[in-house]
Order: sequence, then structure tokens, then C-alpha cells
Amino acid sequence: MKAVGARVPRYDGVAHATGRTEFVDDVRIPGTLWVKAFRSPVHSATMTNLDTSRAAAMKGVHVITWEDVPLLEYGHLSALGIPADEPLLAKDEVRYLGQPIAIVAAPSEEAAMAAVAAITADFQERPALFDVRKAFDADAPVIHQEGNWYTHFENEMDRRQIRKGNIDEAFDKADLIVQGVYRPAAIEHAPIETQVCQVVPEANGRLTIYSCTQALYFSMGVVAAHLQLPLNKLKVVGGTVGGGFGGKVDTATETMCALLAQKSGKPVKWRWTREEEFLCSSTRAPWHMEVADAVTKDGWILGRKMLTLHDSGAYSRFSPYGLTKHSFHHTGAYSIPNLEFNGYVVYTNRTPTTAMRGFGVTSVSFATETHMSRIALELGIDPFELRLKNANRIGDTSPNQIAYTDPSTVPTILAIADAVGHDLTSEYAGMTPAQRSGDLLPEHLVGQLGNPEAH
Amino acid sequence: MASEVLMPSSPSEAVSLFGDGAATTVIGGGTVVMPEITYGRLAPDRVLLLTNAGLDTVAVDGDTITIGATTRVDALAELGIDGLTACAGNVADGEIRSQATVGGNLCVGQGHEAPRGDLQGALLALDATVRSTGSDGERTESLETFLPHRHARLVLEVNFTRPAASAFAALEYPHTHEYTVLAVSGTRTADGTIRLAATGVAGPGARLRSAESAASDPEAAGAAAVNDVTFADDSLASAWYREQTLPVLVRRVLAQLEEST
Amino acid sequence: MNLTINGVETPIESGPLTSLLDVLREELGITSPKAGCEQGGCGACTVLVDGEPRRSCLTPAASVDGAAITTVEGLGTPENLSPVQQAFTHHYAAQCGFCTSGMMMASQAYIDGGGTDDREAIQHALGGHVCRCTGYVKIIDAVAAVVRGESFDPNVTAAGTAMTNLGGMA
Repeated sequence: MKAVGARVPRYDGVAHATGRTEFVDDVRIPGTLWVKAFRSPVHSATMTNLDTSRAAAMKGVHVITWEDVPLLEYGHLSALGIPADEPLLAKDEVRYLGQPIAIVAAPSEEAAMAAVAAITADFQERPALFDVRKAFDADAPVIHQEGNWYTHFENEMDRRQIRKGNIDEAFDKADLIVQGVYRPAAIEHAPIETQVCQVVPEANGRLTIYSCTQALYFSMGVVAAHLQLPLNKLKVVGGTVGGGFGGKVDTATETMCALLAQKSGKPVKWRWTREEEFLCSSTRAPWHMEVADAVTKDGWILGRKMLTLHDSGAYSRFSPYGLTKHSFHHTGAYSIPNLEFNGYVVYTNRTPTTAMRGFGVTSVSFATETHMSRIALELGIDPFELRLKNANRIGDTSPNQIAYTDPSTVPTILAIADAVGHDLTSEYAGMTPAQRSGDLLPEHLVGQLGNPEAH
Repeated sequence: MASEVLMPSSPSEAVSLFGDGAATTVIGGGTVVMPEITYGRLAPDRVLLLTNAGLDTVAVDGDTITIGATTRVDALAELGIDGLTACAGNVADGEIRSQATVGGNLCVGQGHEAPRGDLQGALLALDATVRSTGSDGERTESLETFLPHRHARLVLEVNFTRPAASAFAALEYPHTHEYTVLAVSGTRTADGTIRLAATGVAGPGARLRSAESAASDPEAAGAAAVNDVTFADDSLASAWYREQTLPVLVRRVLAQLEEST
Repeated sequence: MNLTINGVETPIESGPLTSLLDVLREELGITSPKAGCEQGGCGACTVLVDGEPRRSCLTPAASVDGAAITTVEGLGTPENLSPVQQAFTHHYAAQCGFCTSGMMMASQAYIDGGGTDDREAIQHALGGHVCRCTGYVKIIDAVAAVVRGESFDPNVTAAGTAMTNLGGMA
């Protein structure tokens, strides 16, 4: 236990400060080919007449298209039973601006750009969909092969739903219904190191993959599946990431580089430009959240109805998982005994969205905290006291019926009140996370209690 | 890659090599052209690289100031003209300002998604003249008449008279590398003449003549300024937002000029 | 063309419009300057040209022919860290490490130019550099400490500084 409580030096501190940390782009392999992508110039289209012949005829240039991929569709969460819906390279349809269609490797960056410029295809543009609220309209364009929203939650449900307690009774008993709509926007992760990958075909038949991935074993599985190779044919070198923030969880470059290394027999490197990073890399999802709470005049929240539309972009990727996490946290740090939550993973013609720092949870925290303040405002109650009253306590249960054993809501809010100099009445100033009793265990919270010992 | 890179070693050689300017890409500091080449948006056949052309001299003769085209943006601060110092200091960051040139800033085109050429406003307000060369040889003209055909000309020098007072006001922007959303420059000459100009509006920088006429009444001047320019929507701001904020910046500049009486 | 790189005169074969960044990274294998945006917007490629901080991605090679270039490799070695390198290590001023080279070169120029330990002045000097891990407070700590002449044991990490909101910068 030498490190606990001590100030330990960073294991990579001196390497960073001397410029010797070897990021993926810093790996020097002679004879490496540069990689560039021919991408969809439109948001939604059927594609015909893809012609890579002029590029492929250029000196030293290698091109891959969907035809070169042994398993074209493999989902990032296929291993968890979430069906694949995204081709590695577009075949006959494009569903977002910047979707990769053909990838080239050439002896120089200029030659790679020239090869991309020599690739042509015809795009018959279709109406695109960008607003999740319009995805359910009868006249909305159907933009995904399976419809406009994901339909493969457990028992092939088309939504993630949570039911707890008796929501109708809660709304019948309410003094007031407080509603709000919350719509945090997409956010680009913007790591200073753009997506980058190098793949070296080794003499022993293996591929060595230098990857900036945040999720090495994910990427290894995804590459192996698309290439239909056993894992022992891949050696993935990772662990040095020039910023990720969730944006390097998707396997953005490794598979295509591996295919080009196989096809050319040469080492290849793909470093996205800053423009590609902004236009083509996945973002944090925009979310649409509608909340309606049944509240009493004295500040209890009896029930919550919530609808979430999670903008997945053009394909599923990790979104079903993100929405699931979101649903488990949809009461935030507070105990609400009666719940009706419906959440949909909605497809749009945006770049597919992905994890970012608290995948699915930051969005709902924004909604729930803003909503708590709104309730306090409408009731004329101190917003700290409203939060403390409804705060998760030991033995309270989460939306998915897990009993809390060590909830931190109470000490956190007390610390905030202290930090900003907010005076609390003695009833709240001395509050602890201990199990509810007395005035803080009203009848409506009795039924939701669980056994923290059993967890 | 460019097939031909020319590096003149004197102003006269630069004039001669530029010729009529046809199919010639000029690089001053490189801050505008280099990303275009790197990203493959520009593949120039003939490049004039002005590093050693001797166009970076700054001459101060009494109140008359002449600055060479490749004078670095950050060197303008040394002239001690408040409005010009503030305007130059609002360009990008320290490293960019020490590399980018005045000539490049005046000649730069419309950005990919936003107006560029921050110095145009300050130099318009200084009623600067530009000596340039091109298809009909050398000529000296006002910056205002120069700007519409700036892409076909090689700037040699910029000339102006030190004002009695000068000022600059810009909308703040969230990051140092964003282009100016909207900025107003103003000067007052010894005889009391007020000149105002804006950048961040559609097209290059523009004089605000209606606002100048009403300068004695800042409220009226601000209101009049919106008639002097056209506004555009872009990635930085909407035309509506610019229209609402231009009068505010005009009033701020006039207030600064008033304070420096 | 010739460049004096970290004190060593080096002939250059790249074309005249090749960016200094590509000369360093691709021709010479000097990898501390990073290609973060290649349009002058991130600061990760910053090196010293005759002592001045420059965006190497915006600099045509021919425009610096004959110049002295300093990169992080020229500051110090793991066995003999320069004051800026010691301070960045000690103050935990590098998180993912990708902006660090550019940050250190701009910091070195600020210190060499007589910069003070005023936090706002340091923030202004580094205003063109993006640390997406948002480790700015510790970076400013490190620079201020070097200006004050403090020396460090790089094997010890400093106590942190409380977050201070310096406000937006135009």
C-alpha cells in the first residue's frame, strides 16, 4: 500500500515531457503506405456505379471496397447479442455524410489524395432525417434498413422500458404535475490526436496493429470478425492514446487498415485529418428527454413519466447499451417510487453516435437536475432541501430495483451547500444517508424500500 | 506539389516575378495557404514565396507611416496606434501573429465558413492607401478601392497617417482561433474627422459612411451603420445577430474615441 | 536547404513547400511535434524557430532555410531534464501528453522572453494551445514555477492548485 495517500510520479510523465512517448503516429516503419478514404458526399442516398478502377490503376495504389471485406456487417456489440446493422464499407446505400465507401493506400499522402479523387460513384439522394421527433411520423423517410428505430431490446421490444410501482395512482394523488423537455446537443470529442492506425503485415502471417483505441479488446474482436481471422493472427499494440474521451471506443480505422495491409502486403498508416475528425468521427449523441413528475405541495416526487429519444445517428453501434444505462439512472440521484420510462434508440442521418464520459448518464443527469430546480421553483421550495428530501438513502431502490448500499447524494449536496454558503435548516443540515425513518419515510416511499444487506 | 517555387530576394524581383499575377499563388507567412495545400484543396503550379523579398520594412516619417507587405501582424503593435494594436492583437494567437503578414491579411479571401481579414477594418478606418502591382503595373490607391480586386494583386506596401485617436471593439469569441464574428474600428484625425469601418460582415471589410455622418450622436450612428453593410449567416453567427450587435460596437468605438480626447 | 536542428546542422531534402512539421516528422523522424490539426489551430506542432515559437504545420520549409530549430528533443533528456521538463513532470502538466510538446516549446519561449509568473499572462501566452484533457491549471502551475526559479524532483508529484476561473479570453 505504498501508493495510497502518497503523491506518486506518473509512470509516463518523463516520457511525455521529453517528447519520447510513442503515439501511434510516431511509430516509424519504412515503406509505409498512406491511407485515405473516399467518403459519402451526401447524408442519404442509394449508390450505384462505384468505380475504383482508375485509382487502382495508379502506380503503387491499393483500393478496398465492400467486396474486399470477408464479413461486411459486424456490430460493435455483436458479442452482446445486439445485431449488426452497419457495413464496414458502404455497399449500395449511404446513410451519413462522410460514411466510408472505398479506402486507398498509396506511397505518399499526395498520391493517396489523388487516388481518392479518381474514384467515382453515382448518388441518388433521398430525403434525410435529422430530427428524432420526426422519426415516428407517418410520412417520415425511412432511413435505416430496419425502420427508424431499434427493435431488438429483450423479447424484441422496440424500446427500453421501465415500470415500477403504480404510476396512475401517483399521478392521481399529485397536487401538481411538473413537466419539462431537455435536449442536450451532440458534442465532438475533439481529441488532439486524431484517429490513427498503423498495420504491419508480419512475415509469420500475423498483422501487427498499432491502435489509438480506448478499447483494445473490443477492437481486436471487431477486426478479427470482419477479417474472419482467429485472434491469434492479430497482435494489437495499444495503450497510448492522445486523448479519447469515449470517441476512440469505436473501431474507426483498424479494420480497414488491416484489410489494406493484407491486400498490399505492406505496412499502412491512416491518420485522419482534423476535418475528418470533426466531420466523420462519432460524437456524443444528442438526446431528447421529456419528463413529467407527479409532485406534492410539500416537495415529494410521487412518480415520474419519462420519454427519451436517443439519437443514434445512422447505425446502432453502442447506442442500445447507452440507452440502457440511461434508463437505469433516469431518476438521477433521487428516489421516485412510481415510474413509467420509455426510451427509443432512434436512427437519423447523422454520423453514428457513441460513448462520451458517462455514456447515457450525463444527459439524464442534466435533465433530472434541471427538472429538480424547476420543481423547486414551481413549489417555492429551497432547491437544496427539495433535493435532500428526495435524495437516495440506504435501502432506497433504483429504477431497476437495486437497493442502494452507499448512496452519496446527501453528503454531496451538503458539501455543495457548504461550498456556496447556502444555509440549510437544522433538519437538513445534519442529514445523513442512513435508512429513511420518521418524516422522511412517508407512506409512498415504504413500498419501494429494498434490503441493502441482500445486495 | 508546386512545380515552381520562386523566392525573390528584393522588392523589384518580387514585382518582376509576380508579373500580371496570373496563376501565381503568393505566400507571405504561410498561415492561410499552407493548410490549403496540406488538405489538398490547393495545388499551386507557381508559388511566390516572399520570405526574403525585403518587403518587411516599416518606415515612420513624422506622422506618415509606411509598412511593407510582409510586416508581421504582431509588429503593428509597435506603432503605438491604439485601435490598430487592439485589432492586430485580436487576430488568432501569438504564434500566428508573429508569422502572418499584413499583406496576406489584406488579400485573404472569404474563409471556408466565415469572413477573414481582420486588419482590413482597422486600415480602412486609417484611410490607408495600398501600393500594389499586377496586370496593369504598379499603382497606389485607397484600400477601399483595392479590396475588391485584392486577389489579383501583389501588395507591396500600405501607407497611412497617424490619427489623433483610434479605437477598436469586437464581439468576444469563444476560442482564440475562431475568426472575428464582428468588429468595428474607428479613428479621429487632427481636424476631428471620424472614420469607421467594420469586419465580419459579408465580403471584405467596409467603411461605415452613414455612421460616420452621424458620429456626433452615437445612438444615431449605431442605427445608421446597419445601412452601410450587408450581413451574412455563417458558422460563427447569424446575419440577425450581427445586425443587432453592430450598433453596439459602433457606440463602443465612438465612446472610446470620445474618451481619448 | 539546411536547418540547424537542436544544434546540429542538417541538410534537408524535402521540397520547399513541405511544412516544417513534415520535414521534422517524416524526413528526419523527430516526432515530438505532433500533427493535431495541420491548420494552426491546436498548437501541438509548435517548435522554436530562431528562438520564436512557430506553428511548424504552417511554415514552408523554404521560409526557414538556414534557421535554428529547437524541438523538445533539444530541451533535455530523461537523465538531464530541462527546468520546463522538470516542472511539467513534477506538476503533472501532461495528461494524455499529445499537446505537451507544443505547450512546452511555447512555455520555453515565454520564459526566455522574460515572462512573469502572472497566471493571466501565462494563459495569454499559451492561448493558441489546446489541451483537450483540460489540464490548463497544472500547465500554468508548471510555467509559473519555472519563472520563479523553483527546482523540482521529477519523481515527486506536486500538490494541486485550486481551480481558479480566470474568465474568458478574447
